[in-house]
Amino acid sequence: MRRTRAYRSTGRGRRRWGAFGVGGMVAVMGAATVSVTAPSTSAAVTHAAKTTTITWWASPISTSGPDLRKALITAFEKKNPGITVKLQTAPTNTDTNRADLVTTISGGAKSPDIFMGDVIWPGQFGAHGLALPLSKYLPKSFFKRFASGLVEGASYKGQVYGAPFFQDQGFLYYRKDLLAAAHMPVPKTWEQLRTDAATLVKQHKVKYGFVFEGGSYEGGTCNFMEYYADTGGKVLNATDTQSVLNVAKTTKVLSFLRSLVTSGASPGAVDTFQEPQAMTAFQNGQAAFLRNWDYAYSTSQASGSKVIGKVGVAPLPTFAGQPYPGYSNIGGWNLYINPHSVNRAADLKFIEFVTGPEAQTIEARPPFSEIPTNASVRANPAIKRLNPPFAVLSRTKLVPRPAQNPNYPKISQAIYTNMNSALAGSTSPSAAANAMASQLKSAVSNTGL
Amino acid sequence: MATTEIPARDVAAARKPAPSRRARTSNRHYARVGWGFSSPALVVIGAFTIFPIIFAVVLSFENVNVTAAGFSLQGATVGNYHDMVSSGLWRHALWFTTIYTVVTVAVELALGTIFALVLERLSGGRGIMMALLLIPWSLITVISAELWSYIYNPTYGILSEIWHAVTGGSAPNVLGYPLDATIALMFADVWKTTPFVAIIVLAGLVMIPTEMFEAAEVDGASGWKTFWRVTVPLLRPTLGIAVLFRVLQAFGLFDLPYVLTGGGPGTSTQSLAMLGYNTMFTNIDFGPGAAVAVSTAVIVLILCLVFLRAFKQQVGKETISA
Repeated sequence: MRRTRAYRSTGRGRRRWGAFGVGGMVAVMGAATVSVTAPSTSAAVTHAAKTTTITWWASPISTSGPDLRKALITAFEKKNPGITVKLQTAPTNTDTNRADLVTTISGGAKSPDIFMGDVIWPGQFGAHGLALPLSKYLPKSFFKRFASGLVEGASYKGQVYGAPFFQDQGFLYYRKDLLAAAHMPVPKTWEQLRTDAATLVKQHKVKYGFVFEGGSYEGGTCNFMEYYADTGGKVLNATDTQSVLNVAKTTKVLSFLRSLVTSGASPGAVDTFQEPQAMTAFQNGQAAFLRNWDYAYSTSQASGSKVIGKVGVAPLPTFAGQPYPGYSNIGGWNLYINPHSVNRAADLKFIEFVTGPEAQTIEARPPFSEIPTNASVRANPAIKRLNPPFAVLSRTKLVPRPAQNPNYPKISQAIYTNMNSALAGSTSPSAAANAMASQLKSAVSNTGL
Repeated sequence: MATTEIPARDVAAARKPAPSRRARTSNRHYARVGWGFSSPALVVIGAFTIFPIIFAVVLSFENVNVTAAGFSLQGATVGNYHDMVSSGLWRHALWFTTIYTVVTVAVELALGTIFALVLERLSGGRGIMMALLLIPWSLITVISAELWSYIYNPTYGILSEIWHAVTGGSAPNVLGYPLDATIALMFADVWKTTPFVAIIVLAGLVMIPTEMFEAAEVDGASGWKTFWRVTVPLLRPTLGIAVLFRVLQAFGLFDLPYVLTGGGPGTSTQSLAMLGYNTMFTNIDFGPGAAVAVSTAVIVLILCLVFLRAFKQQVGKETISA
C-alpha cells in the first residue's frame, strides 16, 4: 500500500484535468485524432474470474515473414493458461507511437496494460509518471538476467521503468562481391569508406556508394551520435543536466557528412532517407555500403532481395587516427507497464516470461534474429552462429543517446534538424554546429519551444 | 368627433396581424421542439468544440505538468507566450505558414477560375469533367501525400525517371532542399485543392445572368474587357468565399508536410500546426504547445475578420452598382 501511495504522489498538482483536455487540444489544433481504447480488460475479468486478458501494445517488429509478437504470445499463453494476451498493433513511427501513448495514459486509460516502447523513453516517461517503476514491484535479482548496461539505460533517477526486450545497434553492411572484385578490404575508417564508396560509384560498379539514415527524424540523431562519439565528443555532462556539445568536433562530423554527398559517395537524397529508403536501396543492389540496425541482415537475405549471399556485416568504422572500431548507437525496445493497468500481476508475469530464456531464444533464432537482452541466451554460442550481426556484437563499441534527460525529444530535435540541414547543404557545417549547441542549451533547460 | 384617428398600436397590428393565442402556443411549442432536437448537437459542440477552445486558452496561460493522473496546472504565467515569441522555430513556422498560405491560395484562385471558365463553356461532358476534377480533392490528404512522396522519391520516384528520360541527368533531390521542398509541398496542395476552388467559382459563374454578357457584347466590349469589367466584379463575392475557406484551411497546414517532409530539411517546412503538435505530443510541453495553438487560431481569426470586412464592403458596392 505504501508503495502505491508513494507512486501516486508523483502526480500531485494544484488542479487535475483528464483525458478530455488532451482530446480537446487535438481538436483545437485540427491536427490529429486520438483514440483512447476502452478498457476491455475489466469486462473480461468480471465475466470469467479464471482468465485475465491483458492488452499488449507493440509496433510490428519484423517487416516481413512471421510475427515475433504472435509467436511470443502463443508461447506465453501455453505456459499460462489463465492469462490471455491481446495484441494491439502500435504505429511504426516511434514519435507517433509515443504521442498516442502519452495521450492515452495521461488520460487515465487502463488499456494497454503493457506497451513496447523505445529505449529512449525512460527519462520522459519516468519524469511524467507515464510508466510503472518496475523496480518497485520486481525483486533486484530479476534485473540480473539482463546483459550489462541495459538496465541502466532503462532507468531514470534510480528506478527501472522498462524491461529490456530486444537490443539493437548500428552495423556496417557491405557487399562482399563488390569489395572482393575491387580488391578493397572492409573499411575501418570513415575516410576510407568515403573513398571506396565514391570509387565504386565512379567506376559504375554500383549506383550509390554508402546509404544511411540522414532524414530529419530520430534516426538522424542515432547516426550523428556514432560519428560524434568517434571524435570523443559528449552531448551532456555526467549528470545529464547540461549541454557540453563541442562545436569544433560537431563541425568536423557535419563537414564529413556533407562531404559524403559532395564526393559522390552518398546520394543527395540521403538527407530524406529513413530506414526503409536506405534498406530498399541496399537490398535492390543499388548501394555498396549500408548503415542500419540488426534487422537489415535478415531482411537483405529474405526472398525478393537482390543481394542474397552477397552481404557482409562489420562494426562501424571510425575517424582516421581513432582506435577501431567506431561507436554503434544503442537502439532497441523495452517493455513498460501502464500505471493504470488493473492486471499488474499478469503484466509482471508476461514481462518475466518474454525476458526469460525460452522467449529470448525464440527471439534470437531465425527467422526473427533479434539481439536478445537476456545474458544467458546471449552467451549461447549455438545462437550466435545463426545470426551474423550477433556474431559481430562482441567487437562493437556502444554509445547511447542522451536520453536520460526528460527533455530528450527536444535534445534530439536540436541534433537531427541541424544535422539534416548541414547534410542537405542548406546550412554550412559550422553554422549548423553552432545552432545545434545553442538549441541544445535551451532544450536542456526546457526554455523556448 | 368622427376623426379617424387610428391608435399606433392598431397601425402596427394592421401591418402585421397579431398572432392568435393558438399560433403563439404553437410557436413556443416549435421552439421547444427545436431546442430538443438540437440539444444533442449542442452538447456535442459544447463538449468537443467550445470546451477544448476554452481549455486550450487556459492551458496556454498556465505552467502545465503532465502526469499519469492527467494535467496538473501549477500557476498562471505568460511565460508560454514569451517562450513562443522568442523562439526562432515559431517565427520560422509563422513565416513559412504565411508564405505557404499566400502563394497556394493565390495560385489556386487563379487556376480554379480558369478551370471554372472552361467548365462553364463546355457544351458536353461537364459532369464527367467535374467528376474527374474532384478526384484529387476527394482523396484523403495523408494518402495523396504518400502518393506524392512516391512521385518525388529521388531513388525510385516517377519524377526522377521522367527527369532522367528528358535530361539524361540524375534526378533532383526535391524534398532535400528547403526551397525545393516548399515548392513541392505547394505543388501538391495546388493539385489537390484547385478543383475545390473551381467548383465554387463555377457555381458563381452560373449565377451571373446572361443578359450582362449580352449587354457587354452589344456595347462592343472585347472578351478580355468583359472578363475584367463584368465577370470578375460579379464573381467577387464568390471568390471571397473561396478565399475565406482556403485561407482557413491552408493556415492550419499539417498533414501534407507531416507525411511528405516531416518538417524537413531541418525545420524549414515546419508549419505552425506541426510545431504545436510536436511541442505538445512529442516534447509533452502542453503549456507552450497550447500557446502556439491559441495564437495560430487568433491569427487566423484576425485574418478572417479583416477579410470579411473587406468582403462586406465589396458586397455593398455590388448592390449599389447593380
